[in-house]
Amino acid sequence: MILDLYPVRWALVLLLLAAATAFGLLIDSYVSLTSQAMLYVLVVEIVSYRLGRLEAAVCAVGAVAALNFFFVPPRWTFAVDQREHLIALVVMLFVAFMTSRLAAGLQREARAARLSEGRARQLQELAMRLSAAAAMHEVRTIGQAALQAAFGTGAILTFADEGNSVPEAAQGICLPLGEQGRVFGMAVIPAAAAQEQEGLEHGRTLAALLAQALWRLELDEAVLAARSEAQRHELLNTFLASISHDLRTPLATILGASSSLQTQRDRLSPELQSRMLGSIATEARYLTVLTENTLQLARLSDPVVELHRDWESVEEIVGAVLARVRPQDSGRRIRSVIPAGLPLLRVDPVLLGQLLVNLLDNALKYAEGSIEIQALYGPGRIDLCVSDCGPGIPVALRESVFRPYSRSDRSGQRGAGLGLAVCRAIAMAHGGILVVEGREGGGCRFRLSLPVELQQPLEESS
Amino acid sequence: MTLRVLVVEDDREIRTFMQSALAVEGFDVLTAVSLSEAGAILRYDSPDLVLLDLGLPDGDGADLVHELRQRSNLPVIVVSARDQEAQKIRLLDAGADDYLTKPFSIGELLARLRVALRHRGTALEPAVTLHELDDLRIDLAARMVLRDGEPVHLTPTEFKLLARLVRSAGRVVTHRQLLADVWGEAFSGHTHYLRLYMGQLRAKIERDPAEPRHLLTDVGVGYRLAAV
Repeated sequence: MILDLYPVRWALVLLLLAAATAFGLLIDSYVSLTSQAMLYVLVVEIVSYRLGRLEAAVCAVGAVAALNFFFVPPRWTFAVDQREHLIALVVMLFVAFMTSRLAAGLQREARAARLSEGRARQLQELAMRLSAAAAMHEVRTIGQAALQAAFGTGAILTFADEGNSVPEAAQGICLPLGEQGRVFGMAVIPAAAAQEQEGLEHGRTLAALLAQALWRLELDEAVLAARSEAQRHELLNTFLASISHDLRTPLATILGASSSLQTQRDRLSPELQSRMLGSIATEARYLTVLTENTLQLARLSDPVVELHRDWESVEEIVGAVLARVRPQDSGRRIRSVIPAGLPLLRVDPVLLGQLLVNLLDNALKYAEGSIEIQALYGPGRIDLCVSDCGPGIPVALRESVFRPYSRSDRSGQRGAGLGLAVCRAIAMAHGGILVVEGREGGGCRFRLSLPVELQQPLEESS
Repeated sequence: MTLRVLVVEDDREIRTFMQSALAVEGFDVLTAVSLSEAGAILRYDSPDLVLLDLGLPDGDGADLVHELRQRSNLPVIVVSARDQEAQKIRLLDAGADDYLTKPFSIGELLARLRVALRHRGTALEPAVTLHELDDLRIDLAARMVLRDGEPVHLTPTEFKLLARLVRSAGRVVTHRQLLADVWGEAFSGHTHYLRLYMGQLRAKIERDPAEPRHLLTDVGVGYRLAAV
């Protein structure tokens, strides 16, 4: 602002005094000395209100001197010959000082209020942005920007893990970024800004907010790491436990039957021989499925799993799935209800097929009666439902069936213990949801909701 | 004359089992444990069909298929594990005739073998122009499709797509091959065309489009017109 320049300020003081004097001389013949004095009071008031305390004081002295010189008899001299006028002069000087002090104080308070309001707003915004930050480097960028917004470009944020200490050029007060005994780095703010108590306080608050955010992120990471480590451990344990059962049992059957055929074939009846061969084939097929699911789960647990997505038709995938499960469905219990004209889905067809095969396999294995595979088209999504009329799954177990190796021995039949975990992983990899619900009239319904992309591929015009 | 099959497989157990199973069916079986050995056999011998395992120790089977296709239309069936999808499709696009996914039963192996051998020499003999199965009769020469004796009306594109499948009846035709042959090379990435047109074809030809009898889907690979 132009009023911040010293020559301008002093020129203004002189100008106002000159104007008051000129106007006082102009109306000299019409008014008394009291009114002329009031003109100077007005000037002192204006200066003390708009400019600094020093200017106001100088202006008051100048005003009294000018009043004395130009208007108080004897005029054109600084001599004061009447006691009355002397008192008036002293009082005016006093009033000028008082006003300037009051006005300056008021202005200082208003400025301080504005500054602290701005700082409070900055803190609020910073807290909000920090709570949304998901990574350390984001916190750093936000913090650096906030610090410079508050204290100018001289303010610098340095971090302990960056290896470099405070840059040579940095001059000022160092505020540590510490939380719970952990020091992440420090904020350096210019010494001038730190002189003021509120400024220093603001710097400390900023530093504390940043330290808190960094601490929170560090804690989050640690918790996440601990949790995934615990999960990995649990998975390994259940995997080992399951190997002892799910793998050993079929292997024992295969080995037993084949070695028996090897050594005792002459003494075994043809029926028995073919039954043993049958169980070898069955157990081997079971091991194939288990291996497939284990491999798929390992692949899908990779955080950057690569899906081979393409535009796929629901009708087509269901058709291929039915062709795969029909050999196990001798009674043709599965019925499909797929409406015509469904939009295409952008999915990995092999994975989606495996998901549906697993669900239908389970239904065939665990439930009696009819099974239905149905597609429902809702706003923005397609639901694929596999419903059965089996014993159903108790509400308490409905989430745990999706956990790897958590097999509910509902019918004493051996399950893969992995099938539903793979299904859930496939659903999630596609941004879909897989849940199990109760079905009216008994049984359960597995519902897979897949998002439908709004942008369908263009049809060929010709 | 007995038919000769070359089995290229590095695992001894599987090789032995395939050899004995095929010998029982009356085939004369040659075996190779690597691509280089297979190459050597193919140079001096002329089998009627090749069963090619993926993931051989000395390289990618695609080179062998390329080399073979330059001088003969000897049927090649690719044998792959489930996690070798991309490699399998590449070999099919390079000219392999069909594929089998490990583990497979001997029944599946023989069925694939028979289809591949039936098509043997289609480039020399008159191409297949007539396809009949159950309720469906397709006569390419007469541009006629009958379902239960009733003519089915197809658009030119639908007919072109169906005709392409008829010429390879029983064998898988990859998405890329179908798109290139029916729409043109420039459209080989537009799989959504196939989804739409196959849907329309099924609606016209199949009794239950959701569980097709004729127009079968090889998920993630391509389509196949059922031959048996």
